[in-house]
Amino acid sequence: MPDADEDGPSDQELLRRHVAGDSDAFGELFRRHRDRLWAVALRTVCDPDEAADALQDAMVSAFRRAADFRGESAVTTWLHRIVVNASLDRLRRRAARPALSAGDEQAFEALVAQDGDPARAVDTRLDVDAALRILPPQQRAALVVVDMLGFSVADAAAILETSPGTVKSRCARARARLLPYVAHLQGNRSASESVSPAQGGDT
Amino acid sequence: MRGQMTHLDTDVLAEFRAGLITGRRGVTIAAHLAACDRCTALDDKLAGVSALLASVPAPPMPDSVAQRLEVVLAAEVSGKNNYAERAQVDRPGESAAHDQRAARHGFRLATWRVLVPAGAAVVLLAGGGYGLSRLVGGPGSPPSFSSAAGSAAKSASSAVPSASSAARAGSPPEAAAAPVNPAASAGSQLRSPNRIVNLSPATLGQYVEAELRLPLALRPMQTASSRVRGCIHLLAASAPLQLVESAQFKGQPATIIVARTGQDDTVWVAGPDCSAGHRDVLDTVTVP
Repeated sequence: MPDADEDGPSDQELLRRHVAGDSDAFGELFRRHRDRLWAVALRTVCDPDEAADALQDAMVSAFRRAADFRGESAVTTWLHRIVVNASLDRLRRRAARPALSAGDEQAFEALVAQDGDPARAVDTRLDVDAALRILPPQQRAALVVVDMLGFSVADAAAILETSPGTVKSRCARARARLLPYVAHLQGNRSASESVSPAQGGDT
Repeated sequence: MRGQMTHLDTDVLAEFRAGLITGRRGVTIAAHLAACDRCTALDDKLAGVSALLASVPAPPMPDSVAQRLEVVLAAEVSGKNNYAERAQVDRPGESAAHDQRAARHGFRLATWRVLVPAGAAVVLLAGGGYGLSRLVGGPGSPPSFSSAAGSAAKSASSAVPSASSAARAGSPPEAAAAPVNPAASAGSQLRSPNRIVNLSPATLGQYVEAELRLPLALRPMQTASSRVRGCIHLLAASAPLQLVESAQFKGQPATIIVARTGQDDTVWVAGPDCSAGHRDVLDTVTVP
């Protein structure tokens, strides 16, 4: 992940300035990465309102705890870690009212009914986003960070605060579980007709 | 692989692709893939999942969320800087320098100090293009506010006032932080919806917490409107007032009223119809 703006200070420099009392620095850092941070929050919690709350929690936390940043990872990795943690915290808090249980095809069908028939959907992203909801949160977060945001497994492990092996495992299970739901988006529905959804539990 | 099964299942293939299966078992899977069109096709499909996910563009942050977060972060900045910001009320030269410094960036909380005809001092805060008007006093202002108002006026007059900067008041952040001509623009600023911060239930508590970090003597505490004073009396009764500010709440004109109630502070968001005889409360929260 890039850590510097070609025309401006690096992320680390902005964070240093923020800690030193520069009231503009954190805002610049936030604006530089806000779309990616929004994407990881939205796709992890699968709800715009919850994502906004999670991102707000995360940014306030990052603002206040910037002095704790030790430079052991890129600033973007640190920011993403805070956002993922805030997003997973949100999901835990609403665990009493889960929108979906993992692998629940009936619930998926309900989602599809809301978003439109995936076979005829024009907006691919809607289908992918809907399919992501099928995944357990930890698998979803891993897949979002690795496959959708393009972080390396090592960086994803730092973001998710787990081992690279666990990241690989979560991603593998998530891909297998998603396949039947997104195969039609690859232009061939045969896989979704012949492959049963994976039934593995969350890691 | 499961015993003598002919074909690989999706989980095994996914783990194999992720490098989680190696050694003899990995060799066996690779050999099977080389000989089985069906499993190779499934493997291709799995590879396509990652490719599909990578191809989906990241959704841009909605403007409403961006605005909300800018407000929240501005409140954080305000919480850190307001001691120095308000201290500069008594040092107008430094205040002007602060405003000019803050104007260089999009994310800031620059202070505009202007006069209003009734003799009340009005402080407009603009952070990232959003502003909050504060009615601090009036004829009955306590001495501390009278002093602040006088200094504020001096500060404004020393802060390079210009008509063009007033015209930029509602502009995007890059142009919004210039000092304002107090005589020419005070009224119009107060009427401009772009100049009032639009709080929401999500940002209210945090914003108030940041404001309450100011010393009590430096917080705006009184409005010029008898209606609002009646509303405050109705809501807070005799509870010690901590803060009274005008703002917008979910797009509606509102007055933020905070009073100490027991161990906590109670925040009322009074609507435009709130008065001594009519309880119009848009929201209420408790902050520690």
